[in-house]
Amino acid sequence: MATPLRQAFDQVRRAPLVLFVLLYTVVTGGPLLWVATMSLRTTAEIFKDPYGVPSPIHWAKFADAWTKSNYGTYFWNSAIVVVSAVALVTVVGAMAAHCLARYSFRGNRLVRLLILAGLVLPPQLLILALFQILLDINLYNTLSGLVLVYVATHVAMTVYILEGFFAQIPQDLFDAARMDGYSDFEIFWRVTMPIGAPAIFTTVTLNFIILWNEFLFAVVLLTDDDKRTLPLGIMHFTGSHQLDVGMVATGLMIAILPIIALYAFFSETMIKGMTAGAIR
Amino acid sequence: MAVITVDNLCKRYAGASVPAVHDVSFSVADREFMVLLGPSGCGKSTVLRMIAGLEPITSGTVSIDGHVVNAVPAKARDIAMVFQSYALYPHMTVFDNLAFGLRRRNVEKTELARRVGAAAAKLGLTELLQRKPHALSGGQRQRVALGRAIIRDPKVFLFDEPLSNLDAALRVTTRNELIKQQREIGTTSIYVTHDQVEAMTMGHCICIMNHGGVVQIGRPLDVYRKPADTFVARFLGNPPMNLLKGKLGIHNGRVAVHVASNGAVLAESSATTVAGHVGREVIVGVRPEDLYEAVPAGAAHFARLPVRVVAVEPLGAETLLVVSLDASGEELIARIGRDTPLCAGDRFDVALDTAAIHLFDPGTTKAIV
Repeated sequence: MATPLRQAFDQVRRAPLVLFVLLYTVVTGGPLLWVATMSLRTTAEIFKDPYGVPSPIHWAKFADAWTKSNYGTYFWNSAIVVVSAVALVTVVGAMAAHCLARYSFRGNRLVRLLILAGLVLPPQLLILALFQILLDINLYNTLSGLVLVYVATHVAMTVYILEGFFAQIPQDLFDAARMDGYSDFEIFWRVTMPIGAPAIFTTVTLNFIILWNEFLFAVVLLTDDDKRTLPLGIMHFTGSHQLDVGMVATGLMIAILPIIALYAFFSETMIKGMTAGAIR
Repeated sequence: MAVITVDNLCKRYAGASVPAVHDVSFSVADREFMVLLGPSGCGKSTVLRMIAGLEPITSGTVSIDGHVVNAVPAKARDIAMVFQSYALYPHMTVFDNLAFGLRRRNVEKTELARRVGAAAAKLGLTELLQRKPHALSGGQRQRVALGRAIIRDPKVFLFDEPLSNLDAALRVTTRNELIKQQREIGTTSIYVTHDQVEAMTMGHCICIMNHGGVVQIGRPLDVYRKPADTFVARFLGNPPMNLLKGKLGIHNGRVAVHVASNGAVLAESSATTVAGHVGREVIVGVRPEDLYEAVPAGAAHFARLPVRVVAVEPLGAETLLVVSLDASGEELIARIGRDTPLCAGDRFDVALDTAAIHLFDPGTTKAIV
């Protein structure tokens, strides 16, 4: 008898939560949907009716953006820079995190403090120094220079996330591998990396999303058009006298599709990595 | 096959005021199963880790077959270790866990598969080879850990409380399995535990440790029957040995120990040993099984002590009686038959087998007899 009443009560109690989630979805998903519809319409159509549905659907805009507006180049530049930087920052960060989590050596705490200090420095503070350093070592206006900057600026967060996870790996696993005859370096690759995979996927996904959208360092450290990354490419449609809203929307969709795909693929692993507890 | 000799082993951690392990010396003969037994934090695992090469040695030596191995890294000592947590690699299947050590030694593929298959068959793991550790029960994980040690065919096995994560029933079966495997393979083994039942049933020899040092080494029953001090006396045995205040004196011209000022208990068999202590205070140790409801028919060397029953704990096969001495109020535990009519509050004279009592020096706590 009490069951239907209880169910009704539970539904009422859950209502504010459902309402909040709906509202949040509208606030975040609404603009995305709007940009998605605009990406399939021309600028004239958008100005005429900003919230209209695409009719006819201009699929060709994606091909135009890719070929005529140099988006192909921007996309590949972004891909090269971000994939290289994420790969490097993952390996360097994982090695540092493994050492900090596993070995007690003189200066351990100081090294940790210095690395993690990178988390609190705002990127604007580094711009001038990085600009000068890259000029001095002839890496200004090069993709490899930007890769190095990305690695340096994201290693702190990577170490922070990975160290917390690696520290939870039981010492017995490392001792067992040592007894089995493996060296410290082999143990890192054969034990720490595979067991730490959920946390590593988390940092890979996070770093990929952040670096794919990175604008500040790219706009300061790259000048040639054929070296620009995607976020800079979108600026291409933003002139001083006119704004091609339709093409900006198409460019944005091209830019965010890899991120959406990546997140869709790794979201579960990423959440697992961020909330993971003891290793079973 | 190997002989392990540990000589004056010490371990002091940086910043620690007292050493974690000090002056530990013992020798484990070829094919022998030595158990390091002691309470938590007594340093037994530290000794094991120093033998394994996982912990640097502060001073002293560890030798295998006469060769000092202090400077030899863990991987080169040819020792296999089973950990308390099993230390199975969670990302690998049972097959890969078993093969992990062999792969490092570049064992040829077909030979590797043969050895993994043989070890799996021996431990009943054949059906589980493709499973990951999280899909195994505690007992199965323990067997994989054992298999990983066996498969390498090392000179020495080290076990660091490998049964402590298992439930009571599984612990008994796994313990028997482990004894069987060790006796079959015959590899020299050192086994660390705080469980006296494991120590008594598994070891050829027990080394009892406390506060970082060795208290007594010997065959299990020898250690049980002749504890070196009150710590060993209390640590081995469940319920532990009863310890009472007493005094050595002369009764009817013979050496006797007076307990609770109301009994004169003759220590006949040990009279000559304790003769020099006459007139001194002693600690009298009595095992619960050496106390009786009544003097057994035809038995000699028994004393009676008036007591009051504090509690009766029937365990099925036997009953534990907690009694309080009338004279001193000291409490004793007696292990008696299951069908006792005694109840809490009853008074009777508990019978004590004087041939089985132990005497300890109250100053040093060392055994006199």
